[in-house]
Amino acid sequence: MSKRIWHHPEVPADETTVSWRSAGQLEDTPAFREWLDREFPQGAAEMADESDAETSRRSFLKLMGASTALAGFGTAACRRPESYIVPYTKAPEWIIPGKATYYASSMPRATGATPLVVTTFEGRPTKLAPNKLHPDAEGTDAFAQASVLDLYSPSRSRQILKSGKPAKRAELDAAIAAIATDKSAKIGFLFGADDSPTRKRLAKDISAKFPAAKFYQYEALTGEAPVVLGDGVKLVADFAKADRILALDCDFAGTDPQGPVTPFFDRRKPEGKAYDHKPDAAKMNRLYAVEAAFSLTGGMADHRLRVAASQVALVAARIARELAVPGIVESPEITDSKQVAWIKAMAADLKSNAGKSMVLAGSRQSPAVHQIALAINLALENIGEGKALLALQTEVTGLGSLAALKKDIESGGIDTLFLLTPSNPIYDAPADLDFAGLLAKVKTSIHLSDRTNATAFASTWHIPAAHYLESWSDARSARGTYTVVQPMILPLYPNCVSELEILSALLSDDGKLLDGEGDKEAPSPAYDQVRKTFAALGGEDLSAWKKLLRDGFLADSSYPLATPVASPLAAGSFAAAPVKDALEVIFATDASVYDGRWIDNAWLQEAPDPISKLTWDNAALIAPKTAKELGIYDLIIEPEPVSTILGVESKYADVGPDGEGENRKQPMIQVTVNGRTLEIPVLVSFGQAENTLIIPLGYGQAFDKDDELGRKPANQSHVGLVGINRGFNAYPLRGSATTYFTTGATVELTDKRYSVALVQEHSAMYGRALAREVSTIESDDEKGDFKAQLANVKKQGNDSHAPPNVYLYKPLGSAKWNPGKDGKAQPHLNDPLHQWAMAIDLSACMGCNSCLVACQAENNIPIVGKEQVAKGREMHWIRMDRYFAAQKDNTFDPDNPALVPQPVACVHCESAPCETVCPVNATVHTEDGLNAMAYNRCIGTRYCANNCPYKARRFNFFDYNKRNPLIKHNLYKGPLGEKTVGDADHLQKNPNVTVRMRGVMEKCTYCVQRLKDSVIRQKRGQKQEALVAGKASTEMEVTTKTLRIPVDSVKTACQEACPADAITFGNLLDGDKSALVRSKHIERNYDLLNYIGTRPRTSYLARVKNPNPDMPDARFIGKATIHMV
Amino acid sequence: MANIFPRWSNLLPLKIAVCAGSAAAGVALAFTYYATPKTLTVGYQPSQPIPFSHKIHVDQVGLDCRYCHSFVEVSGHSNVPGGNTCWNCHQHVQRESPKLAPLHKSMNPAFPGYDGKPIEWVRVHKSPDFVYFNHSAHVNRGVSCQSCHGDVHKMEVVWQDQPHSMGWCLDCHRAPENALRPLEEVYNFNYGDADVLKYTKDQGVKTTKDLGLKLKEQFQVNPKKSCATCHH
Repeated sequence: MSKRIWHHPEVPADETTVSWRSAGQLEDTPAFREWLDREFPQGAAEMADESDAETSRRSFLKLMGASTALAGFGTAACRRPESYIVPYTKAPEWIIPGKATYYASSMPRATGATPLVVTTFEGRPTKLAPNKLHPDAEGTDAFAQASVLDLYSPSRSRQILKSGKPAKRAELDAAIAAIATDKSAKIGFLFGADDSPTRKRLAKDISAKFPAAKFYQYEALTGEAPVVLGDGVKLVADFAKADRILALDCDFAGTDPQGPVTPFFDRRKPEGKAYDHKPDAAKMNRLYAVEAAFSLTGGMADHRLRVAASQVALVAARIARELAVPGIVESPEITDSKQVAWIKAMAADLKSNAGKSMVLAGSRQSPAVHQIALAINLALENIGEGKALLALQTEVTGLGSLAALKKDIESGGIDTLFLLTPSNPIYDAPADLDFAGLLAKVKTSIHLSDRTNATAFASTWHIPAAHYLESWSDARSARGTYTVVQPMILPLYPNCVSELEILSALLSDDGKLLDGEGDKEAPSPAYDQVRKTFAALGGEDLSAWKKLLRDGFLADSSYPLATPVASPLAAGSFAAAPVKDALEVIFATDASVYDGRWIDNAWLQEAPDPISKLTWDNAALIAPKTAKELGIYDLIIEPEPVSTILGVESKYADVGPDGEGENRKQPMIQVTVNGRTLEIPVLVSFGQAENTLIIPLGYGQAFDKDDELGRKPANQSHVGLVGINRGFNAYPLRGSATTYFTTGATVELTDKRYSVALVQEHSAMYGRALAREVSTIESDDEKGDFKAQLANVKKQGNDSHAPPNVYLYKPLGSAKWNPGKDGKAQPHLNDPLHQWAMAIDLSACMGCNSCLVACQAENNIPIVGKEQVAKGREMHWIRMDRYFAAQKDNTFDPDNPALVPQPVACVHCESAPCETVCPVNATVHTEDGLNAMAYNRCIGTRYCANNCPYKARRFNFFDYNKRNPLIKHNLYKGPLGEKTVGDADHLQKNPNVTVRMRGVMEKCTYCVQRLKDSVIRQKRGQKQEALVAGKASTEMEVTTKTLRIPVDSVKTACQEACPADAITFGNLLDGDKSALVRSKHIERNYDLLNYIGTRPRTSYLARVKNPNPDMPDARFIGKATIHMV
Repeated sequence: MANIFPRWSNLLPLKIAVCAGSAAAGVALAFTYYATPKTLTVGYQPSQPIPFSHKIHVDQVGLDCRYCHSFVEVSGHSNVPGGNTCWNCHQHVQRESPKLAPLHKSMNPAFPGYDGKPIEWVRVHKSPDFVYFNHSAHVNRGVSCQSCHGDVHKMEVVWQDQPHSMGWCLDCHRAPENALRPLEEVYNFNYGDADVLKYTKDQGVKTTKDLGLKLKEQFQVNPKKSCATCHH
């Protein structure tokens, strides 16, 4: 019998929403059809060319013969190998073998430290989670989640370098001591943009000891907003108090944080953050975004205006004029009448919510935009105590810029330079500064970094840096709360030191550089320094210090308020709009590598860009219409059908143009701007402003002989296996005046092509109304008002007319093996204590990848490398779907679709299609409602993945955990391939999760290891209760209360990490006390693919848009329900 | 054409098939008998760096299991004591015994050859890496050490007493009453039918199994049998 194919009904003719995942689907290329129909692209499992075919049938047989022969020898020793248990000699306090210990710490960052709780196993940090006790608590973003991997990175710097060559510690010690003892030394310090009170104090001491010392600050992508606000002043948003938010090119939810973002998302839920009251549109906030290309923030916006980055100032000025803000000079009039209408209605809304609104300017935008935003905020009285915006006086003051450093070096004011910034100025400083030439002029430069990057090799000395999980320090969070950074482990490698340890060495009399091991019995000098700083803030008391270490922060220690004043706008702040022949290039902050510092982090590299869904590389993004005008659209959409048969390129090869398969090659363009050129592949980006070109920064740091484009091997030692041959470096196009965007670029098509690993079409699901959206305003069509739309959520798509699901199958277990008390068969889901379930709120989800990386860290998910990703073999248990949807009748801006993210992992169907097809019962249901996966039973038939309508299952095509997928052809060498085990990254693995091998299917388990742990911990209470009551255990009553875990007390890794609190998880039997159960009962709750009757345990909550009815585009908002047919 | 194969060869394929078949069956039978944990691991009794006698320490001295295996009630892993636990007593008791040389080597700085390195005990019970057995889940709910590790208090040298195979685990998960005890008796190696009366006034309850059945009800013990209970 042939396989029955589910035919989804056609989309009705009156459906106005067009939704798509990729340009390929929008144009309905045959390639995308294939992705929908197949689990993996055709030919993905076949060998593409000779070089891949190193394990030919012949060699396979040879190997098999050899291993069979060896197996014969093996049988001589049947007994398993002797293994040992090695306990501590002196068991350290608090460490219980087999149990995790949790510590509060934080990750220092330019926008304020991220407070963390670190999970350690026997002293080994494995997982990071947000510290929810902290006043600036929010979730953790993907960067914070992935930072634990850097600790174990095989390419981590561990060698002291002198002029790029390995040097001995003693030599460095002598050099540091020489500087420390010379009080007239002209030392310069280049710090990062993070704020550390201890560093600040030490810097003061250094000024006292070395009167000629100077201090500077540099990070590549932090912008110059303080220039407008005053030295060290920053605006921090309190989203809980903001009813209306205008983001002027400000990705506050993504790469450009402006304060803890969780309260913003709390107010995207009409039922309140705990789902505990009736839906109320008035309690929701409203977000307006003005930006060039989709950011995560723009995707969340209720109203989004797309303009080029250079035009944001113009729009801001027009808004200011509309609001009659004083001090804004005349700006050129905006010619587009639609835009003017948009601005007018929006400004009126801001005005009527004065005092409860905020205007946020992107930190990398021009000072003019910041000036205007400040003037508007002041005029609307949005800044101040109790208001939505707080102006805070930070301690990052008195620091010179890179330009000041240049001046001082050239004038001879500095002859020794300490490069302590996390950025990589040789690589990322503006091209016209010629930082390399500048550094050469300094007598001694000392560079501290955990990577041997370009600056490491250009400096006199490079010192390997201790990771923040290995060193003592302190930091200030977004609103300035004093936050401790405590080490979880001694530095993994000798010679790794921290910033504070270097500063302490300079301050000591003999200049002795001590690392984390400290001196003899004494701890690291950084510890003493941090304690001293804290004593001044929180008291000398030991109990205060202990409280700091336990909580991670000092209460009531935020920054004092400042009063910024609006300054008059300089003339010439407005630029002309870009045109086809003079495109605007925007140098974007990358969501995977940030400014390039994460290039060696494999988790981040493999996490798809939230918008473009590109992994492992960067590419230029261009709006479809602009691409058409430039004549390159068709080339981008139809990837060249090139594949090879026996090494001969052929357009007619079996392995066809499989959309985003391994043969997807994008055309490359040559961008010429500021007299420099860059060749880079190009992708179409929806919702981007016309005549702009977005190029993410941070890639192209080093190449070797394996580079696909044959670029000259360069800087090979600057990066590890992860970062080599990745993407294209756009930094050389930047000048000091054009750090964010530049105009006048011309584009030329080249005849080259470059393979890209795009995942936007991977695991594309069929189905109607996958992601559902409603709006809070009366719809002009039959959908009705907010109430009616909410009531209709469950009936969107097929569910409007499909008959109710009928179950003929009785879900009963075996009477023989699992009888109930009466001896009869009992239901499968028979656990009376716990029935697990999850709800994902699409109204709060922005698609940021934080859950995806957290899941990877928690569940030992391997990375597979670019080539394997291109074949659709990525292993992420959470697939972050990203849809675009446009209204057919959109007359306002048809090229500005809605962006709808939807994370999909295994939904734990109660009647799971995967379970019925497994020939070996490797995937079965548990009593508490999990769809479990027994890896050791799995024989890899992949029937389950084939039968999963959600495409949530992942297959280990290779031994990704053991064989390094980043070495070329390594996976195909089988047992001869190079192993990764022992390269230190295995130390990150969670000991409570099996590391899967080749040929095994895997998928989301609802973090079953956490569930089991919490349930077992709860059961221990039975004994405690008896002890407390002083009775024999047999006299005690054991109730459900004893055995059921407290309401909502267990969190899955994704839920914990989510900065938007979009994921709720809990026990269905907890009743209305549980946020999960409440969320299941609200009207927005719906099951994905409800009409096929799988009864998923994970349900979704429809996305709610809160448009302003007076806006010209209001009637096209809130209708982005996604159909994939 | 002459007959190449003689007549007797007609049955040869059949004979070969029968022989090969029975040989294969024999191998399979032998394998199922010998290569199971029942025969492969039960009785495994490696010699340890220090000939530590549970018999002396538990039976004669009367130490509780938890004096050394101190985290068994809170952790999944039942820890083997660190050197300092042994040294607590043995810096005074039997200090000069030559059997304790490895302990001195690891704990006694005055000892010639002291290196401060931990003692490497040979592992007796080993679950595969994909099995997550949790000690605390069992001892806190009335399953005794004895049920899985046998009469350790009588062992001069510890051996593996039970197969610890999946089938063996499931036997108990399906009928936990055979192993359930009052929580007070979990570490009592001499628990028997005589102790039952201490815990019940019900005259019908005579054996430990009777009490186990009663406790199963009272403690709401409902052991899971699905894969994810131990495999994740």
